[in-house]
Amino acid sequence: MTGAGYAVLVLLALLLLGTGFLLGRRTARPVRTSDVGTPVEHATFETLHTASLAAPPLRAGLTEESARRSARRLRSLLGTDALCLTDRDRVLVWDGAGEHHGRHVMDQVRDLLASGRDTAFRSDCDDLDCPLRWAVAVPLTVDNRVLGTLIAYAPRESAVLARAAGEVARWVCVQLELAELDRSRTQLIEAEIRALRAQISPHFIFNSLAAIASFVRTDPERARELLLEFADFTRYSFRSHGDFTTLADELHSIDQYLALVRARFGERLLVTLQVAPEVLPVALPFLCLQPLVENAVKHGLEGAVTSSRITISALDAGSEAEVVIEDDGTGMDPERLRHILRGEGGNSTGIGLLNVDERLRQVYGDDYGLVIETGIGAGMKITVRLPKYRAGVHGS
Amino acid sequence: MSRTYAVAAVAAVVLATVLVGGFGLRISRTTSDFYVASRTVRPRLNAAAISGEYLSAASFLGIAGLVLVHGPDMLWYPVGYTAGYLVLLVFVAAPLRRSGAYTLPDFAEGRLESRQVRRLVSVFVVAAGWLYLVPQLQGAGLTLKILTGAPGWLGDVLVASVVVIAVAAGGMRSITFVQVFQYWLKLTALLVPAIFLVLAWQGDGRPRVSFDEQLSVFRADHPLYATYGLIVATFLGTMGLPHVVVRFYTSPNGRDARRTTVAVLALIGVFYLLPPVYGALGRLYAPELIHGGDADAAVLLLPGRIVGGIGGDLLGALIAGGAFAAFLSTASGLTMAVAGVITQDVLPSRGVRHFRLATVLAMCVPLGGSLIVSRVPVADSVGMAFAVSASSFCPLLVLGIWWRRLTPPGAIAGLLLGGGSAFLSVAITVSGAVRPPGWPHTLLAWPAVWSVPVGFLAMILVSLATPGRIPPGTNAAMTRFHLPEALTSGRHR
Amino acid sequence: MRPLPRYRTQSEIDEQTALGGAYVRSLMRSQLRAGLTAFAVLAVVVGTLPLVFEALHSAALVWAVLGFAAYPPLTLIAWWYVRRAERNERDFARLVEGRPAQ
Repeated sequence: MTGAGYAVLVLLALLLLGTGFLLGRRTARPVRTSDVGTPVEHATFETLHTASLAAPPLRAGLTEESARRSARRLRSLLGTDALCLTDRDRVLVWDGAGEHHGRHVMDQVRDLLASGRDTAFRSDCDDLDCPLRWAVAVPLTVDNRVLGTLIAYAPRESAVLARAAGEVARWVCVQLELAELDRSRTQLIEAEIRALRAQISPHFIFNSLAAIASFVRTDPERARELLLEFADFTRYSFRSHGDFTTLADELHSIDQYLALVRARFGERLLVTLQVAPEVLPVALPFLCLQPLVENAVKHGLEGAVTSSRITISALDAGSEAEVVIEDDGTGMDPERLRHILRGEGGNSTGIGLLNVDERLRQVYGDDYGLVIETGIGAGMKITVRLPKYRAGVHGS
Repeated sequence: MSRTYAVAAVAAVVLATVLVGGFGLRISRTTSDFYVASRTVRPRLNAAAISGEYLSAASFLGIAGLVLVHGPDMLWYPVGYTAGYLVLLVFVAAPLRRSGAYTLPDFAEGRLESRQVRRLVSVFVVAAGWLYLVPQLQGAGLTLKILTGAPGWLGDVLVASVVVIAVAAGGMRSITFVQVFQYWLKLTALLVPAIFLVLAWQGDGRPRVSFDEQLSVFRADHPLYATYGLIVATFLGTMGLPHVVVRFYTSPNGRDARRTTVAVLALIGVFYLLPPVYGALGRLYAPELIHGGDADAAVLLLPGRIVGGIGGDLLGALIAGGAFAAFLSTASGLTMAVAGVITQDVLPSRGVRHFRLATVLAMCVPLGGSLIVSRVPVADSVGMAFAVSASSFCPLLVLGIWWRRLTPPGAIAGLLLGGGSAFLSVAITVSGAVRPPGWPHTLLAWPAVWSVPVGFLAMILVSLATPGRIPPGTNAAMTRFHLPEALTSGRHR
Repeated sequence: MRPLPRYRTQSEIDEQTALGGAYVRSLMRSQLRAGLTAFAVLAVVVGTLPLVFEALHSAALVWAVLGFAAYPPLTLIAWWYVRRAERNERDFARLVEGRPAQ
């Protein structure tokens, strides 16, 4: 073979090596510029998608229903033959093969439920065809409390599965924590409504009864009527069923409230009502106007030497009703009002306003908060817009 | 005919409408009057309001015109407009009220829990509303032309502007009282002249009204089919008309909604006794209208022809005022309903400003339509709006209220196949692409006979094929629709 | 304005149990029957009328029937239906509340 021949061979070999090197680099390092995604990216997307599908059911907390609806997704995230979710007492769902293992599960995870530490165990059974020979169990914890376990089964020991099960369990825990948060938020709002109902009572009840008592001798008939109004008003305010009411009922209760207030203040309080009958059937959150009227009464009479006028109107505005409550009282510094509505402190009436505002926003969305126009010494005008229909809002 | 009286009457009606709308609110100054103010709308009052809104240009002018040209077979129109309320009563009234829905899209969303169905229903509501608005505007144009000799488009634009201004400025705030006023005005405006006309006819020696075949203009080459098409469309279409549905929201509860409907039946039944009188007298005293164009004008022309003199002028002015009340009330009701749907489902965010924009939008398209599209007899084009409503909303309402297995895909299929095909037929007919005679034209001009069954079948079959999509809240919705108030509210009212 | 005591059947309906469902379905059936009866009367009469008119060829008859005679029966059917539907609802309320017939 000549020197030229060797030179060609060497060149060829170098070329081959170079090509191989380049090819190797290409496959080893995904090309970042690909517009349609690399296999790794696709796998990531798929995982994220599966995870997102499993998330909504879990936001309802750890129940049989939510476990059932999320188990299949979780199993495909892990890629195992079988997956089991339990709470503290029983198996919630078994997804995949070998359901007969479910009988022993609660015995096998008893230690884990107490300690909160990941465990792995062999899961032999009499069935020779059964593919499930090994399992890893991970606790599901929220606020350091073990709510249940996630158990993944495999034909043989696998560190990858152990790690994956741990990660998935942690993700499930985050979802469950969010669920707890949701629940406590609704509880908070319910508690606020309850507090609001309770808040009406102390001094209002005392003042009303005192006013009624003053009529017992002078005008027994009026005292009797007022007492009936009082009974009806409190019955409405303390009723236990339903979050929603109708505008007709709410206005009726406001009427009774005003009758009781007028019994105390007499001619000092002038009230004008303007109600379009078309909007009376509108459904709205229970007790969301009464605090506004109470606020107007307080502001109107605060420091007013002579009389005070309150105007309440409910008008038809196409697909919405517009309720306006206006007083000519002391008004309020807009800056202070802004503070109150941001939830940064305030007196009891302020909390009433804030609570109404929050509930309206929660039910109808942020477009439907209170609109308040006021200034010091300029009275206050509160506008509430109520959609005539909103899915899930039914007056009862 | 004296123009001054007529113009004064029209101006008076417009002014009165705006005044009643603006100041008709019941205002009470003390709390003891509060009960008066907060009394919910009673069935009879609400019934007069519904009737006032419902009796449109088609009822006021159109029926007499059709009877004049085509003979008594056309009386199926008023019978259908009335019987539509009976069908609405027995299948829809109380459950619809109890559903709490303000518009049809609300009902669709509440029952089927699907935004998609809601949007589709919105599209159909807007389409049906526009179809119904066009003849109102055209009727106004015709009226103004006959009364004052103004060019035809002026009346269209005038009514459109009055309605847009009144609705957008919130001048229709106490809409119930406006509509009640309009009903009694319309009834008076037809009744009083009718009495004088009949008296004059008797003084004239009672000439016999003849409905001989040779005098009648053939309306359809398959009249029996056309009659059935008309019957199906009007009987089943009333329940879906956008401005009718929203008025039921005013009833305080389902039981009152039913009673209201019965009162509506009686009120519009009384009204419909009158237009045929004008049609018959028109045959005698305005026979030239049979073959020449604007037969819808018969009602307006008769007082001048029969009574004459200043009496005729005054009666003519009264009728003109009533006719304008008809255009205004129906057009404003429809515009409010369509604009409401546009603000909720088309425009991005909400607010008063958007409602005004939507009002303009709701009126622009039909105004354009009324100016461009050649004049179809008023009652005929209203019949088309009924056909679309009957093939889309009737299946949705009836199945939605009575059938638990309805699914969102089924509803969509039914709306698209039934309502869509009816709408296409109407569009083809109006565009004049298929002309009479022949079955193709007949089938397209009176689509309800086939499109209503298509709508029902599509809804039922597709729903049965998608049993997994039955909304989870179906049972709750059914319970709400049908349970009497005494049990749901937990207290007596 | 006194609140109704809440009866056991009432809560079955409120909570949409199988039993409550059966109650509501029975109410729906009776209401649908009333509605269908009224509708059937209307449909039979109206369905045959055009054929009758076609056969008799009498403008006066058409005039008399459609111009005047049609409206009172329509209102009567409606009135009958409302009475029937309200009676159904009263009966149902009695059934649910367990009150004896009055």
